[in-house]
Order: sequence, then structure tokens, then C-alpha cells
Amino acid sequence: MRYRSPIGSRARVAAPLAALLLTIAGAHAFDETKYPDLKGQWDRTAAPRWLDAKSAPFTPEYRAIFEENLKDQAAGGQGTDPTFTCLAPGMPRVMNMYAPFEIVVTPRTTHMLMDHIHDSRRIFTDGRDWPKEIQPSFSGYSIGKWIDEDGDGRYDVLVVETRGLQGPRAYDSTGMPFHSDNETVINERIYLDNADKNTLYDEITVTDHALTKPWTAVKKYVRKPDKQPVWREAVCAENNPHVVIADEPYMLSADGFLMPAKKDQAPPDLKYFPQSRK
Amino acid sequence: MLSRCCFGSLVLAAAMVMSLTGAQAHDESKYPDWAGQWRRPPGVNNQWDPTKPRGKEGAPLTPEFQAIFEANLKDQEEGGQGTDPTYMCIPDGMPRAMNVIFPMEIIITPNTTYIHIEYLMMFRRIYTDGRKFPEDTDTSFMGYSIGQWADTDGDGRFDELLVETRFLKSPRAYDSSGIPLHPDGKTIVKERFYQDKDKPDVLHDEVTTIDSALTRPWTIVKNYNRVRNPIWVEAICSENNDHIKLGNETYMRSADGLIMPAKKGQRPPDLRYFNTTDAKK
Repeated sequence: MRYRSPIGSRARVAAPLAALLLTIAGAHAFDETKYPDLKGQWDRTAAPRWLDAKSAPFTPEYRAIFEENLKDQAAGGQGTDPTFTCLAPGMPRVMNMYAPFEIVVTPRTTHMLMDHIHDSRRIFTDGRDWPKEIQPSFSGYSIGKWIDEDGDGRYDVLVVETRGLQGPRAYDSTGMPFHSDNETVINERIYLDNADKNTLYDEITVTDHALTKPWTAVKKYVRKPDKQPVWREAVCAENNPHVVIADEPYMLSADGFLMPAKKDQAPPDLKYFPQSRK
Repeated sequence: MLSRCCFGSLVLAAAMVMSLTGAQAHDESKYPDWAGQWRRPPGVNNQWDPTKPRGKEGAPLTPEFQAIFEANLKDQEEGGQGTDPTYMCIPDGMPRAMNVIFPMEIIITPNTTYIHIEYLMMFRRIYTDGRKFPEDTDTSFMGYSIGQWADTDGDGRFDELLVETRFLKSPRAYDSSGIPLHPDGKTIVKERFYQDKDKPDVLHDEVTTIDSALTRPWTIVKNYNRVRNPIWVEAICSENNDHIKLGNETYMRSADGLIMPAKKGQRPPDLRYFNTTDAKK
């Protein structure tokens, strides 16, 4: 007896036609259903700090640098935190999320857009290899890959590696330093909370020569409910009261004069002003 | 002629595809291909009107603001910064950002077109979700932009992006020559972005500025060339910035890091808040 497929004749015709049409449509459509919904405004859930410095697996050398930095900060200096003159925080510090951010997923790049200093990132997901040479930058060069971990046909994790970093960088305003060789490698797993799709995690593992072993922090962000969120511009240089002269940090007073940042700090050398030599 | 069976199957198949793809797909074929890196053309520097020399662009300024501009040019000649505020890493803002001193990327999504310029933190969100301008919102250097896609040749594909930007903050200038915009916050910038019909790797931005410092709207056309496989080089303004601003006075930082005059005869900074006059050596 001839077998009759349970699929009707119309469906048997429709299926290959659908496949053909999908091919045509798919070539021009960015299928957002393949990716997690990361649209909207994300914000941090805690103060923009890394982890407790006590847990940092610093080498003895960098533990000492960090402690010296703390003493300098206590005395009014900036220690090993370089961002007070609006230098970019760089990676991984930008993931402390100093301002709400937005994630724009496109087939070849995932953009993280942040309204703060120069914190935005490009994560290339186009299958590229690492370039032979990378121009170092504070944000680094990031290559990512989307993974479908649960096999449901939809990506759920973005795995990222970042190299090509420049210094100086610190983990946060406490000044926890990175090695001056800037050979930091950062690995991330970015994923939504399965139980709450408005919660995003970034599991960040830092490999750096200032550490005795890789150090992992998990950052958590929540999505704000506003369909048209307000994006506030944050301009670091506007009203920034910090001034550096000959590697010494000073402050700008409320009435616009140079003032000490530390007790009994000497004024800057004015040797280039002829009037000061009189 | 297709039989009823096959015709019906075709309709069914199309419906299946449309419901699967149309509802959740961003149909890139509806939009122009503006991917890649856009750069200002060679020979065009930090000037608003690319067809005229910097400083001689013939901005239709009111007499009051022409005088401000002339005083600014004099100050710049003497070593000052005049009415150009960006030397302390204040963003260019709009419309100046479209000088694209550093390369830009345009990211098109259904509800927003992002323009990401590789300098400072200059990126723009151009909302194309049909919203209206808010009654009131924070002002910013980059402003609040609403855009609308247009299909001017009726081929079913958008080819122009029309944008209006309001809620701009001061101080801003058009370029490094310091052509000033009015500080009243009422600037409106209108743009028409479109690809060159003959050269798909050339993009035009026809920019019209309406500002109280002008006698009439001022329109110029910016042009950008595309690089398809770009390298993005980070540009951090405050890194190696040699300007020091104390109150209303601007100085320079010498090669050895010390403070030095920016102008001939400039007096040293007032050190009234220092307990000691012994300078750090």
C-alpha cells in the first residue's frame, strides 16, 4: 500500500516554497528573533565600584602600589586613578556603568552605547580573527560570539574577549591598578537572567600581570521600563575642577583660581612667566 | 496558469514567511546601506562650509554676532581660543559634530538611527519612531533629534533621512574659527542625509541652521567618503591636552608639564590660595 504522508499535499508544496521565500527574505532581513531582546535603557544596580580590593589577587608589587595610591588619595591626591582629568575609564572599568547604557545588536557588531567620557564599545561579531597588530586603546579591541546555550534556536549568551588595551587604567575610583605592561585580557559572558528578562549579567574575568590569577566579577544591570527613556548627556570636562600641572594634581576653586589639592601643597613653578621672576 | 492547489500553497507559504519574518525582522532592504566608516574628504579641515576657506565662510551673522566673531578671530591670533569652546574637551555639539573631524558610523535600526562619531562622547540618537518633540527636556550639546525616512524616488526603499534637532546647549561654535551660535538655546538644525546617486560611497548631509545669531537660515552641504572595512582609532581629547583653563584665563602646558602663557605678556595665575610661595621644583 502506498504510504500517504500525514502532511497534506498543500503543505508539501507550501513547505519548500516557504523555504525559498525565507531564503530570499532572510538575505535582507536582520532576524531579531535569533538574538535576545536587549533593547531599552539599562542601568547599574550598585555603586560603580569593582569588587572589594581586599579580594583582589594582586601580586605583592601591585598590592604595594595600590596601598601607596590609597595613602595619596587620603592626602587629597588621585593615586592611581587616572580619570579625574577625563581620561577614558577603559575596559573593564566602563562596565561599572557610570551612566545608563544602551545595547544595539546588529549582525556584525554589538554596540554598547554609554553617555560618559568615551565609554562606548564595539564588539565585533562578524567572525573576524584577531588583527596581527592592534592600536592600543582604553576600550580595547573586542571580538564576540553569540552562543545558543540551551539549544532553543535563539542566542542567549554573548561571549567576548578584549585585548589591545592601553593604560593607565584602574578598576574603579579606589585606584586598583592594572599592570603597566597593558597586556590585560578580558573575557566576558553577557546574558539575560532566565527568570527575569529585564536583568542582564556580565560575568567579567580579568587576566592581568598585576594579578596572581584571573579575577572574576559579575556585574548586574536592570532594564528601565520607559519605552522612551530619557538619555542625559554627561560631559566630564564641563565644570571639571581638577587641574594637573607637572604631574601634580591641583584643584580649581569655586571662584576660578588654582588651589592646592593637598595640605601644604606647593604652588606650581611659574618659571615661564617673566613677571614671576621679578 | 497555476492550479488552485499550487496557487493556494504559494499564498500559504508567503503568509507563513511574512508572519515569521516580517513581525520580528528588521528589513534592512528598506533602508539605504550606510554601513561602514564615513570620513570627511581629504583637504577638508575643521571648517563648517567645506567650499570656503576656514574663517572666511561668510556666515550670515547679525551685526552683533559678527562683531563677536571678529573679536574672537583677534583673540585667536593672539594665542587665545576666542569663541571656540572645545579646546577644553567640551563636545562640538550640533551642528559642528557633522564636521566629522574624526570618523563616524551610522547604525540604522527601525526606531532609532545612531550616529557615532569617534571623538569625545559625540554620538547622536535620531529617533525615527514617530514621536513628537517633548514640550521640555534637558538641553545638551548634541541636542534632541527626530528623524523621518523618505522614499523620494518611489522604488520602495528609503533614500533620505530628514532630521530636526532642538534643545541645544551652549556654548557652541560652527568650527574652530569660532563662528558663534546664539546662547539663547533656540538653535534648530535641519538635515537631509542622502547618498550620492552616482557614487554609493559618498554621503551628503545638507544642514540648515536656524539660529538667533543669524540674519537668515544658513545651509551648507557636508560630504563624507566611506571606508568599507575600517579600523576605528580611539581619540581621547583629554589625553595630552595642552590647554589649562583657570577661571576665564587660558594657559598652555609646556613640554615639561609646567604652566606657561598662551599669549604674549599674559600674567601668571593668581596663587592666592597657596600657603607657601615656594614653588614645587
